[in-house]
Amino acid sequence: MAAMSVQAPRSSKTESYVDNKRKDDIRMSNIKSARAVADAVRTSLGPKGMDKMISTASGEVIITNDGATILNKMEVLQPAAKMLVELSKSQDVVAGDGTTTVVVIAGAFLKQCQTLLRSGIHPTVASDSLHKTSMKAVDILTAMAVPVELSDRDSLVKSASTSLNSKVVSQYSTLLAPLAVDSVLSVVDPVKPDLVDLRDVKIVKKLGGTVDDTELVKGLVFDKKVSHTAGGPTRIENAKIAVIQFQISPPKTDIEQSIVVSDYTQMDRILKEERNYILSMIKKIKATGCNVLLIQKSILRDAVTDLSLHYLAKAKILVIKDVERDDIEFITKTLNCLPIANIEHFRAEKLGFADMVEEVSLGDGKIVKVTGIKDMGRTTTVLVRGSNQLVLDEAERSLHDALCVVRCLVNKKFLIAGGGAPEIELSRQLGAWSKVLHGMESFCVKSFAEALEVVPYTLAENAGLNPITIVTELRNRHAQGEINAGINVRKGQITNILEENVVQPLLVSTSAITLAAECVRMILKIDDIVTVR
Amino acid sequence: MAVEKLFKDEATEEKGERARMASFVGAMAIADLVKTTLGPKGMDKILQSTGRGHSVTVTNDGATILKSLHIDNPAAKVLIEISKVQDDEVGDGTTSVVVLAGELLREAEKLVGSKIHPMTIIAGYRMASDCARRALLDRVKDNKDDAEKFRLDLMRIAMTTLSSKILSQDKEHFAKLAVDAVMRLKGSTNLESIQIIKKAGGSLKDSFLDEGFILDKKIGLGQPKRIENANILVANTAMDTDKVKIYGARVRVDSMAKVAQIEGAEKEKMREKVQKIIGHGINCFVNRQLIYNFPEELFADAGILAIEHADFDGIERLGLVTGGEIASTFDNPESVKLGHCKLIEEIMIGEDKLIHFSGVEMGEACTIVLRGASFHVLDEAERSLHDALCVLSQTVNDSRVLLGGGWPEMVMAKAVDELARKTPGKKSHAIEAFSRALIAIPTTIADNAGLDSAELVAQLRAEHHKEDSNAGIDVITGAVGDMSELGISEAFKVKQAVLLSATEAAEMILRVDEIITCAPRRREDRM
Repeated sequence: MAAMSVQAPRSSKTESYVDNKRKDDIRMSNIKSARAVADAVRTSLGPKGMDKMISTASGEVIITNDGATILNKMEVLQPAAKMLVELSKSQDVVAGDGTTTVVVIAGAFLKQCQTLLRSGIHPTVASDSLHKTSMKAVDILTAMAVPVELSDRDSLVKSASTSLNSKVVSQYSTLLAPLAVDSVLSVVDPVKPDLVDLRDVKIVKKLGGTVDDTELVKGLVFDKKVSHTAGGPTRIENAKIAVIQFQISPPKTDIEQSIVVSDYTQMDRILKEERNYILSMIKKIKATGCNVLLIQKSILRDAVTDLSLHYLAKAKILVIKDVERDDIEFITKTLNCLPIANIEHFRAEKLGFADMVEEVSLGDGKIVKVTGIKDMGRTTTVLVRGSNQLVLDEAERSLHDALCVVRCLVNKKFLIAGGGAPEIELSRQLGAWSKVLHGMESFCVKSFAEALEVVPYTLAENAGLNPITIVTELRNRHAQGEINAGINVRKGQITNILEENVVQPLLVSTSAITLAAECVRMILKIDDIVTVR
Repeated sequence: MAVEKLFKDEATEEKGERARMASFVGAMAIADLVKTTLGPKGMDKILQSTGRGHSVTVTNDGATILKSLHIDNPAAKVLIEISKVQDDEVGDGTTSVVVLAGELLREAEKLVGSKIHPMTIIAGYRMASDCARRALLDRVKDNKDDAEKFRLDLMRIAMTTLSSKILSQDKEHFAKLAVDAVMRLKGSTNLESIQIIKKAGGSLKDSFLDEGFILDKKIGLGQPKRIENANILVANTAMDTDKVKIYGARVRVDSMAKVAQIEGAEKEKMREKVQKIIGHGINCFVNRQLIYNFPEELFADAGILAIEHADFDGIERLGLVTGGEIASTFDNPESVKLGHCKLIEEIMIGEDKLIHFSGVEMGEACTIVLRGASFHVLDEAERSLHDALCVLSQTVNDSRVLLGGGWPEMVMAKAVDELARKTPGKKSHAIEAFSRALIAIPTTIADNAGLDSAELVAQLRAEHHKEDSNAGIDVITGAVGDMSELGISEAFKVKQAVLLSATEAAEMILRVDEIITCAPRRREDRM
């Protein structure tokens, strides 16, 4: 990438003199390289934005529209450019969506800064004005926002589909958006209605089928086969499920041990003992009525051996092995059971109950579904399907964004129009506000207000519309008081965007503006790059 | 006769004028490097590491910048050293001290150029710094007795310190955080009980102060998520089986049943240990090492909250704030000091779950949770906040307060100027030079803010000619203003440390007349 090669002059080890000329150069080169990053992702903004194909160093190919992912994979070196990458990541953490928007806005701010600095305005003045602008912008946005109730499922679905519309999977937004809303709402704890832990929503990807086949599973899905080498059951009704953290295999001590065999009769005895040992374990398990075993992965010894599998099969116990330790918490929460770490503690009250545990063939692989769980915890599993790995990955990322959007709404129950409407309105109101201010500040705020027009401009441009006509018309409509007029990309004209159901959470817009402003201010304040150990 | 060869190969020697020039140039280069970060409108630097990962730090903190520089010049190293000492001693003023020392040397260079002996300059500098210190002492304010005013002083100092940092926009918020945190310490300068946790996400404004302690860990499975009136046992012990530590030890058995027995015995040992721990009458157990699945289940059965793999720092702090001792053997429950707190619960900050201990034994303890857009912001915010905390905790002990904004420098410069006029002999040149060096600080502040420094400093000087003037540079409006009205204050201790260490460093470098660079130690040939 040619733009990436904009490297600041490296200060040498024996650097002894720093003149002001160089500071300007550094600031300018920082701004330039940061803008280069912003330009790189610009075309992926909006519902008609394009995707990027990234081929990573390991030869893997990723096709995505997600700003955070693109930037993450770009491996930029220039420090200021890196800061933009960080910026996009932060937006991902805070809001989960709008990762491209935030970078595009930062790029536009930087462009204005370049002009401001060239006309001799001190960087700190520009930086302070930018701070004020962002504060004011948040006020304006909040005033524009429409409150939303969590019970209002339609609005939630609308905002999730707005987020999904710009992705590869946009044609499935009618399916995925309600799915995202349902899964988030089902994990909201009524005791703490403002908090959503997205870790309670598990996304399982499985190749095969199309995105259409994506479904929400009330229960658990394991991307694993049932261990049935010995012909064990693959479908169990009225399952009693145990999550065990020990192994059903011959004993192994932590201390190094060896069994000394002195003659062949002993060999038989040892084999028999091993069999008895395992058998007694399985008997204990069977005694509690357990018929599904989830076995945690162990690095020290085999979770199950052929022998134990054989006995388990005979006892009609379904076995899923190699469950990761990290997943145990999620599983136990879902099944409402306790993990069992020792055979001695294997008691009936630690089991979980489900109507059905079955192995299902999907595409080229098999998965295990646990459904109808009794007293299920507040978790959800989404099974994502896709015709190839790339679509699958992108679908997962898009779904994650949609989940985040819904989460934002749970955190901050306000909606705002999409389609460039808030940005144009901001630009207009900030422009008016700048006339009230005095001196340099007014000048700076005015240019930052103009910078915000970049969002509708880019939206229109990416949709193949004439950006100038569109933006000027938008301005006109907003000046006449239609604060919800935005670009309707599908129709290619300007309409009341709220009526078109293009909405997004307030948090996404506000955090995009504040984070972009914070990042640009930081870049402005830098006057030197020092190479250190 | 010249000595043919005195030193080893590659060892170099620089003498007299050359040596002095080399140290002046080095020291001034360092001072110039950090100069632009001075003052509320100072700029930041990117520190780009050449090591792996090319990690990037953005900072305004003089000590951080200097610490990470590659430096070859010995004189420059001296400046870096004083900045470090300043950081350790008082925490703030790390840039000022280097800039002042640099300016002193710049002036000294001119004097040496006009054939004044370095020793004369040193003598002059000493007199001047002494006089400057006394001038400051005359003007300090001490509001120790008036709690309200004292708090206001602290707020002002915190705001002044923070105004030059990244936190400047929310300085009031953070000044309050810092003052509250320091006031909880009740006079101790031990900043360890103030914990700073950084969590990306949110904005700086969302940062908050929380009484008690926050541990960035998860609660074990199936264990209570909320405990009131907790008795906490803090431990550093291995929870797996006790092993024979002799290398190569192994057991020989002749049947599988015996292996099973040994395994059973191992489990039994673990159970015993857990029973012993439970026997302490606790309901929360925090271990620095891993707690394995088996003991975790035992704890869960006993209704005890067990936290595994807490980092060392976390453990020590937790021990400190809850008043417990870190235990590693559990045979004598009566000799182990347990920690106590009112409530343990799981809280969520951003996307992460953390464990919150409130109502801890040590009332001073508190946690500041920093939120910010990115790690760069958070790291820098932590550094800035740390500076503010240092200064405040110093001020709580030494409550003498000065005005800021270049005011102390002008006061000192005025006193030193008067001294110069009274002092006969060559020394007076040096004293005069000292006053010029002092004025360089307000000049730099003005320069960095993009103001007309010559004009401002001249105005300031005229203001200070009057008795008891409070004039300083008001960077925001870009004019001379009344510092006490604007509420810009600095701690006396910081200013004094800046003055004294800068003078000392300058003196040290001035005394040098020969630099001997030893031959670098050769690596042994590995062939």
